[in-house]
Amino acid sequence: MSASTRTRTADVAGYAAAVRRHLAGLSPEQVDDLTDGLEADLADALADQDAHAPGGAGAGVPAHDLVGRFGDPAAYAAELRTSAGLPESGTGAGGLGYALRSPVRALREQRDRALAALRPQPWWGPFEEFARSVTPLAWFARAWVLYQVLRVLLTGQALVWMPRSFGGWVALVALTVVSVQWGRGLWQPGRAGRRVRSVATVVAVLAALPVLASVSAVTERVQVVYESQTVGPAPQDGVVVDGVPVSNLFVYDAEGNPLEDVQVFDDRGRAVRTTFDEGYDEFALPGFTEPWSFLPVVDEDGRERWNVYPLTGAPSTEFEWRDDGERLLPGGGRTPPPPFAKAPSLVLAEGDAIAPRLRDPLDPASTPSGAAVAPSPNGTPTASPAPGPGATTDAGGAEVAGPAQP
Amino acid sequence: MDTTQLLKGVLDVAVLAVVAEEDGYGYDVVRRLRASGLEEVGDASVYGTLRRLYSSGALTSYVVPSDEGPHRKYYGINAQGRAMLDAQRKDWHEFAGTMSRLLTTTEGVR
Repeated sequence: MSASTRTRTADVAGYAAAVRRHLAGLSPEQVDDLTDGLEADLADALADQDAHAPGGAGAGVPAHDLVGRFGDPAAYAAELRTSAGLPESGTGAGGLGYALRSPVRALREQRDRALAALRPQPWWGPFEEFARSVTPLAWFARAWVLYQVLRVLLTGQALVWMPRSFGGWVALVALTVVSVQWGRGLWQPGRAGRRVRSVATVVAVLAALPVLASVSAVTERVQVVYESQTVGPAPQDGVVVDGVPVSNLFVYDAEGNPLEDVQVFDDRGRAVRTTFDEGYDEFALPGFTEPWSFLPVVDEDGRERWNVYPLTGAPSTEFEWRDDGERLLPGGGRTPPPPFAKAPSLVLAEGDAIAPRLRDPLDPASTPSGAAVAPSPNGTPTASPAPGPGATTDAGGAEVAGPAQP
Repeated sequence: MDTTQLLKGVLDVAVLAVVAEEDGYGYDVVRRLRASGLEEVGDASVYGTLRRLYSSGALTSYVVPSDEGPHRKYYGINAQGRAMLDAQRKDWHEFAGTMSRLLTTTEGVR
């Protein structure tokens, strides 16, 4: 008898477990609530049956008799559930649709449980209020992602942030209207309507990241193109020879000897510069594999001057970066090799005829700058007397430049 | 006539009446309903009804540990449950009276 009681207990536990399995659609709390004490009730009912059943028929009720006595566990669970006023599970418990939807149900239960755990938190209230206020943004986002998904599916074109055609705009606006109406609880007739909305939302959530990733990738590519385009028309200033910007100028005197530290101005006294980014640019020089960067010359007022030629510099790799972002050239700049060691000398006999013609239009008191740069080889006496002490190229050049600068 | 259908409509008031008489656990209520003549009542229907009445606030509940086997969940009636029972009892009497008169009349006509 004790053996049969033990098997009876096991049978009862098995039957109760089967009933609980068929209540799978409910939350664990609801299942516990519904089946709390179920074992005791089942055992009592069986004991009653034993008592009423005369003879040996009811004494050792075999396992399948629980089903005979109480019915199929699924039916038992359904009865328990409906009489408790809980909604019936959609299709027959255990069916294919039931199995397919069970992960969704499990997710919903987890969400409900997580929400229940969060609600008592003090920060939850304000957070939930905030989240509710920005829900309309999610409606727009849903429409936008759905638009992108449909666009890719229908046209196969690369993604763009916003439509580029009238039809695209119409589609986006239509989707937005639908999404907003869904958000307001409209336009979802019956179960099918709600299902369409749910599927669309799930698709939007799943597609959001891939869509964003590919849209921003496309945008980056476009930006790269823009950058390379802006490089072209940038140099509006500078010296151009044969349509190509010139990086450096080499000046020779009348005898064809190379000059150094020559200041060049235009007819309005503006500095003639070949470089415009304060030395950060790199230039390819003939005869060098490495690109060069150039240095300014500092005048006596402490100003950096970029119109003193030939520009001196060094290969870019020799520059060092200071912590504040300034560039330093430890060894100082060198003059790049001139195109010729010596230029053809001018015919000096004609120079006499040229010289007065150069000087005539100018005020005789002021020194023409062309003459001022000349002194180094010859030490022309006509140019130097006004500044007085300046006999060297540097001093003479600086003093002439002073008044010429605006 | 399928009495199980009729029973569904009156199970609430039947369960309330049984529990109002004396506190009881699930199967105990089933047994007393059956003893009263409601032989067709289903175990699970009664258990579900007890849970529903409990969650709607008409019943109280307490657990009594058992020396042998699983614990038992007892149900008792409270003021709200009594009010509900009174109202439903009144409804039942009116309805039963109406039905009786109707059936008697039709019987007389036939």
